[in-house]
Amino acid sequence: MSFIPGQPVTAVVQRIEIRKLQHGEHLILGFSIGGGIDQDPGQNPFSEDKSDKGIYVTRVTPGGPAEVAGLMMGDKVMQVNGWDMTMVTHDQARKRLTKKDEDIVRLLVTRKSLEQAVRHSMM
Amino acid sequence: MPMDRYADMENKLRILEDLNMMYIRQIALSLQDSDIQKKIDHEIRMRDGACKLLAACSQRDQALEAAKSLLTCNTRIMAYMSELQRMKEAQVMQRVARRSDGTRSSDAGPMDDRLPCKGKVAISDLRIPLMWKDTEYFKNKGELHRCAVFCLLQVGGEIHDTDMVMVDRTLTDICFDNTIVFSEASPGFELRVELYSCCSEEDYSAGSAPRKLASKLSSSLGRSAGKKLRVAMDPGACSPTSNGGAVTLLLPGHAVAGPKYHLLAHTSLSLSHVQDSFRTHDLSISGNEDCSYWVPLYGSVCCRLAAQPHCMTQQMMSGCLKVKQLGGDPQSWTNVYGVLKGTNLFCYHRQEDMEANVEPAFTIAINKETRIRASEKDPHSKAQSICISNQYGGEEVTHTLSADSHEETHRWMEAFWQQFYDMSQWKQCCDDLMKIELPSPRKPALVTSKQGSLYHEIVIDTSDDISTVTDILTRRMQELELRSQLGTSPPWMSLFEESPGGPRTPRLARHSPRSPHRLPHSPLSPLRCPWPGLLSSDASLTSDSDSPCSTSPCSRHRGWAEPLSSPRFRPRTLSLDAKLSTLRGRGYGGVLQCSCQPPSSSSLGPIPAQCVPQATLSCSSSTSSNSSSEGSHSPSSLDGTPFSRPSSARRSLRNVRAKLDPRNWLQSQV
Repeated sequence: MSFIPGQPVTAVVQRIEIRKLQHGEHLILGFSIGGGIDQDPGQNPFSEDKSDKGIYVTRVTPGGPAEVAGLMMGDKVMQVNGWDMTMVTHDQARKRLTKKDEDIVRLLVTRKSLEQAVRHSMM
Repeated sequence: MPMDRYADMENKLRILEDLNMMYIRQIALSLQDSDIQKKIDHEIRMRDGACKLLAACSQRDQALEAAKSLLTCNTRIMAYMSELQRMKEAQVMQRVARRSDGTRSSDAGPMDDRLPCKGKVAISDLRIPLMWKDTEYFKNKGELHRCAVFCLLQVGGEIHDTDMVMVDRTLTDICFDNTIVFSEASPGFELRVELYSCCSEEDYSAGSAPRKLASKLSSSLGRSAGKKLRVAMDPGACSPTSNGGAVTLLLPGHAVAGPKYHLLAHTSLSLSHVQDSFRTHDLSISGNEDCSYWVPLYGSVCCRLAAQPHCMTQQMMSGCLKVKQLGGDPQSWTNVYGVLKGTNLFCYHRQEDMEANVEPAFTIAINKETRIRASEKDPHSKAQSICISNQYGGEEVTHTLSADSHEETHRWMEAFWQQFYDMSQWKQCCDDLMKIELPSPRKPALVTSKQGSLYHEIVIDTSDDISTVTDILTRRMQELELRSQLGTSPPWMSLFEESPGGPRTPRLARHSPRSPHRLPHSPLSPLRCPWPGLLSSDASLTSDSDSPCSTSPCSRHRGWAEPLSSPRFRPRTLSLDAKLSTLRGRGYGGVLQCSCQPPSSSSLGPIPAQCVPQATLSCSSSTSSNSSSEGSHSPSSLDGTPFSRPSSARRSLRNVRAKLDPRNWLQSQV
């Protein structure tokens, strides 16, 4: 999922709607993210293209809101509530997901199996 | 030669005219050969996919790959079509012969014609040397003219392509790492090697606009053209109007815009070129310097062409035999289970031994030197026996074989004759079994050398600490001590002396050989504060830091307490790290900087006159070596419970340092 600078990025995405869960005094989603334009993309175990600096889901807490909504480990997050996540720093990504006044986040995520499914249906 | 090419083109066009897609299917159906039909269907689908991909992709690499697969598919379709045509012709000929003869012609040829066994042919390690002009080769300015090349290898109906390689003037040879194995090749095979290339310009200055326009036009068709193409693309279409569309579809590259490959060079290899080692063969080059796809070839191709005939790898014959060695007791027949494979007749005691891979009882060589004849009837037995004579050294050794029945003997003789025939056909391939390495199904992923950043190349040991620097300094000082009688000690020594007056500013940076990324580069002001102040900040240092290397500051702590004026140099006395930490801590008063990266921070500023021992000193260099291990688990794994957040100040300090360390790949829990 690499990109050419200046060209639009296209991907097959799935919409995932996660309701935050109140846990103590925090609202949590139940997954962990990794990546960002300020991070070293070579250490991302989930990305196909090791120069991809996007935000990836590195862990999904079992039974948490994210798992219930259908998020999977290894997914690349493309948008959060309309905000782009393909060109953000790690901290910006974290902040967009953990806004205190939002209790629902709508993600657009992409994964390899989606592209394959579409390609197979096209052949 | 132009005539060949013309004839070839004629041939291709003739094929195309004769057959369109509907007709092919009809032929295939009539031949009741579903095998070829399936193959053609598969190739046509692949071709469609490649066309679509070519139209849809925007990246040059993808387009080149798609064009390559398109070319391969086209060639395969051509090959299948010509084979179908041949089969149809043969069938027609047979029918004609049958009708005229009125007899059964089920065995079309004379019975005596022996067919040699097939074999596996493998070509690997293809290497094509290039011959750049020296001016070109050493030019390191200007744009890199690159071409994408690949090889197409064909034996009969089997066509394989190698991976694509980008060639530019920095390359001296084109190397294809693939091993291509053709499984059913006859000894008279012709392996056609074709090198295709396509120029791949990086800048689309002049050619881009028409190309883009062309691709736009081709992908947006008018109504009638679109209808025709759609019908043609649908393989199940039965309408007669699909003819025209189908023909245009079958012409290679006609309807598709995108990069086009051109034949650059070709050669033909056959059995005479087969050898168990690398050989160089000549290439016939088509094209010249003016072509866009030109790559200056030296004119030869180097490869390893190996063949494994089936007679060498498979059991050609097996059965129970009775063996007697000539010269022995006429009654001493041994019952064995014989297996004819390769150049040997393996004789096992029992059939189970062969299956269990036990060593055979004995082996009789069957090679070019062997002489086999059917002997006259043995007076003791009913059936004929077979005599096998070999020359071992100077002696001739003869074994006599006897089978259970006449038919068995006959079968064994047939097997031997077939073996001899195969060996005469496959010639040098039967001397010894050539090794063919099957390509592994998964290419092992190239390890991180490309993906690692510079930070991975810097090996950082947790013990690789300032303590090693202090050790080095100690050693040096011990050497220098001998010289320092005169008092000419290196400037940095003053740091450790109780020099109240000397405003020397030793530069530590010059004397840090080992780990430059650890030591700060800025100058150190000499120590002005009284010792007790230092000691107290030391205490805070050692209590604060909870790193495994904290033993070093602890030990150094003792070292500090001793008066340094006496030149008693033990390694512990030079606790440079403790020294630096205290100075650092004092300098910043709690503002934390990641001090292990030299460019990002100058960790020592001017030290205020009054020393203020800081308790929040966790910025010692020894703890920073742990940041790499912490950082990658930064907040999420610090606690046992999954949903809690780190809250202590120390943790946040560690987090900040971890975040600033570019070697980490942060993960955050949300």
